[in-house]
Amino acid sequence: MQIECQDISYQYPQTDTRVFDHLSCQVTGPGFHALFGQSGLGKTTLARMIARELTGYSGQIQSRHISEVLYTHNMERFPGWASIGDLMASTTPASGQDRLNALVDAFGIQSVMNARFSQLSLGQKNRANLIRYLLQEFDLLIMDESLANVDETTRGRIIITLKTLFPEKCFLYISHNMMEIAKFCNQIIVLRSPHKHPQTQMISGRNLLHENFFVMKELEQTMLEIVHAS
Amino acid sequence: MLHRRIQQFVLVYFLGLLSLLLVKYLLNLSDYVIPGPVEIWQTCKAVFSRYVFNVLDTLWIAVLGHIISIVLAFLVGIVGRRNSWIGSLIKAAAYNIQAYPIVAVAPIIFILLGDGLITRLLIAVLICYFPLLLSVIGILSEPVDSIEHFYVATKRMNWRLQVRIRAYENINKLTTVIAGSATMAMVGTIVAEFIAADAGIGYSIRTALYQSDLSKILTALFLIGISTSLYLTGLEWMGNVIQRKCRA
Repeated sequence: MQIECQDISYQYPQTDTRVFDHLSCQVTGPGFHALFGQSGLGKTTLARMIARELTGYSGQIQSRHISEVLYTHNMERFPGWASIGDLMASTTPASGQDRLNALVDAFGIQSVMNARFSQLSLGQKNRANLIRYLLQEFDLLIMDESLANVDETTRGRIIITLKTLFPEKCFLYISHNMMEIAKFCNQIIVLRSPHKHPQTQMISGRNLLHENFFVMKELEQTMLEIVHAS
Repeated sequence: MLHRRIQQFVLVYFLGLLSLLLVKYLLNLSDYVIPGPVEIWQTCKAVFSRYVFNVLDTLWIAVLGHIISIVLAFLVGIVGRRNSWIGSLIKAAAYNIQAYPIVAVAPIIFILLGDGLITRLLIAVLICYFPLLLSVIGILSEPVDSIEHFYVATKRMNWRLQVRIRAYENINKLTTVIAGSATMAMVGTIVAEFIAADAGIGYSIRTALYQSDLSKILTALFLIGISTSLYLTGLEWMGNVIQRKCRA
């Protein structure tokens, strides 16, 4: 399982802004990986390229043993005409019903399953949205700030759940929370300004499977590496 | 809602009437040009019941024409919302035809179809259909990315779901546009009757014009205003019910 970006260059249409200048990076193997970088460096753009939602760039994005790529972001909404429970049920394959219940429990949104999307808090909205993506067929799921507005403890619990329930899948997590990324992610792509070469640096995260089993010194070391890379 | 709308109309109507009488007395115009209040009142009493039937005749054609326009606008709008060549063709055709004043085309319709019910209906439909179509196309062709993304990404999107999402998200705009186009349906019917029909309040206005009887015209205008207010209030009420049901 591998996604490899080779020599990607891209400029937004009708602007002089070059986002990527011969960018190369890769993520190998299933697990929870991260795409990290300051705002405006093109994390979402790169994610959409990998998800085949954005074209018009030069270079190549190659994938091995990854056929279904899904991209989700934190601005997505459910239609307003039914409860989120009904809408989730309508897009969940028959075989995924047990998994739906497990995810709803793990994500802590049982109490709002009969509510309309507009009645949910921002954190609940993001969790509900993530659940419906997790119930689809995918090999790689790109989560663009998908846990924004969720408290830190719940975020950690959700990431551990994902790693436990989907060990054979690949996740690419976009977040600005450096500690969370350092703690839970396996490979961390640090995206840098297009003036810097190479434009990405790869850092190994602590890839924890239990939220509290970590050595602070090692975590600090990883965070320091991320800071230096960016 | 009805009470307020009719109150507002009556206020505007009587302000207009007062201005007319003011002009009459300031310029010392004869009763032949602008009749006095007594004559207006007497004419109103004499023709009121007949005009009520005439305006109802006009109103039902306007309502029917409006319904046909809405159905047509949605059917064509659903096809025209797409970025395909057929969508572009429909949009271009709608913009071009919209540019033609239907009032100028109306005599052709009368020559071809005579001055019966179908002709009045057709002109009413034509006058309110094209603006309605352009609004519907505009609303239905605007993607709601934040909702549609999931269905597109998971290959669940179809035209019915797309239309449903876009219509639901723009329900306020759609109900406003539909209510707004009701006045155009009424105008269209009156224009048709005014040009060549032999029934309806537009026909009564034309007859009054030939008789140079401003009192009759003022009575007709009053009844047109009241009936339009009633229809608009009904539409707004339906729009509110739909919006409430959508939010429930």
